Amino acid sequence: MNLMADILINVIIAFLAGSLLLGLHRKVMARVQKRPGPPIVQHLIHSLKFFFKETAIPKTVSKVFYIGIVFILALVWIVGVIAGPVAHDSLLILFGVYAVYKIVEHNSGSSSGSPYGKLSCVRAVLSAATELPLFAAIVFVYLITGTMNIGEIIAYQSAHGPLVFTIPLAALMFFMLIITKSPYSPFAITKDKALISGFETEHFGFLRGFMLFSESIAWYVMLWVFLTIFFGPLNAVGYLIGMIVISFVTGFINATTPILSPNHSVMTQITIGAICFFGTVLMIFTGVVA
Amino acid sequence: MVNQKIICSILLALSTIAILACLVIDFEAWIVYAVAIFGIPLWVLSLGLLTMAKPRPEDAEERVKEPFTGY
Repeated sequence: MNLMADILINVIIAFLAGSLLLGLHRKVMARVQKRPGPPIVQHLIHSLKFFFKETAIPKTVSKVFYIGIVFILALVWIVGVIAGPVAHDSLLILFGVYAVYKIVEHNSGSSSGSPYGKLSCVRAVLSAATELPLFAAIVFVYLITGTMNIGEIIAYQSAHGPLVFTIPLAALMFFMLIITKSPYSPFAITKDKALISGFETEHFGFLRGFMLFSESIAWYVMLWVFLTIFFGPLNAVGYLIGMIVISFVTGFINATTPILSPNHSVMTQITIGAICFFGTVLMIFTGVVA
Repeated sequence: MVNQKIICSILLALSTIAILACLVIDFEAWIVYAVAIFGIPLWVLSLGLLTMAKPRPEDAEERVKEPFTGY
């Protein structure tokens, strides 16, 4: 297939699937809380609807930065789609994508001129704690498989079985990242409702629609990477079931867990990350992991 | 506002042409990646800036005046 066609198809699938999964996530949260909740397609409809909504650029913003950061958010996750589902390239690129995403959160808040955005921008720095378990998880995948290349990791798993059975604590660390990035997460300190919508507060109308577009792709890419590097070679049905299950589980967790204060959020993430890290190291040195 | 419309139309046309060119012609992989990485977000951004509704002239000042900040 033509490479550009492959990329476009994957971006469209990522957007549509990501939007529907986030809609499902919201529906699950609502049902757990005994509310009917919005239809599953509501997130997708919102994303498209906002493209036609009235949009004005507030006086307080840094205009180029304010629009540019939304562009960069889409750009980094399209890199994620290319490095992941399209090219099966290095995990380090995806780690880089996630690192830039943190920078986008930070700068989106600071570009707005809003105090809520600025506070969210400060919290984005604190929430970089989530990157430590992610990096540790990637290192363990490398130690076991001897490669960072996603295609080779898939090949390794088809020969030796899914990595989730070999390094379950590393998979748990990665899952922590997914919980952190899921909507209404107990660790979502950058989007705490006390900050209205955090770093997205001043991005409304079309720009919010564009952010929702990128976030749908982000959710799809993160789930795809998790399933690919820990659950071995999967076909389309396997990915679909895996993504639905993860969206369901994160929805349940988020519906039953209050958002933590920033210091508790960071300490909880670091503690779970540290336990999983030393647990995996112990498993490797005691020979539990071959 | 007129300037923004012209710039967005040009960017939309350029990104559309670049994406279509990559669909029709088999360029080197790095060229296709570069076009996809910059072209797709640019296409969505320029399209959105053209399709978004603008405030009515009498409301324009009020809209840009800190929607949420309370300054």
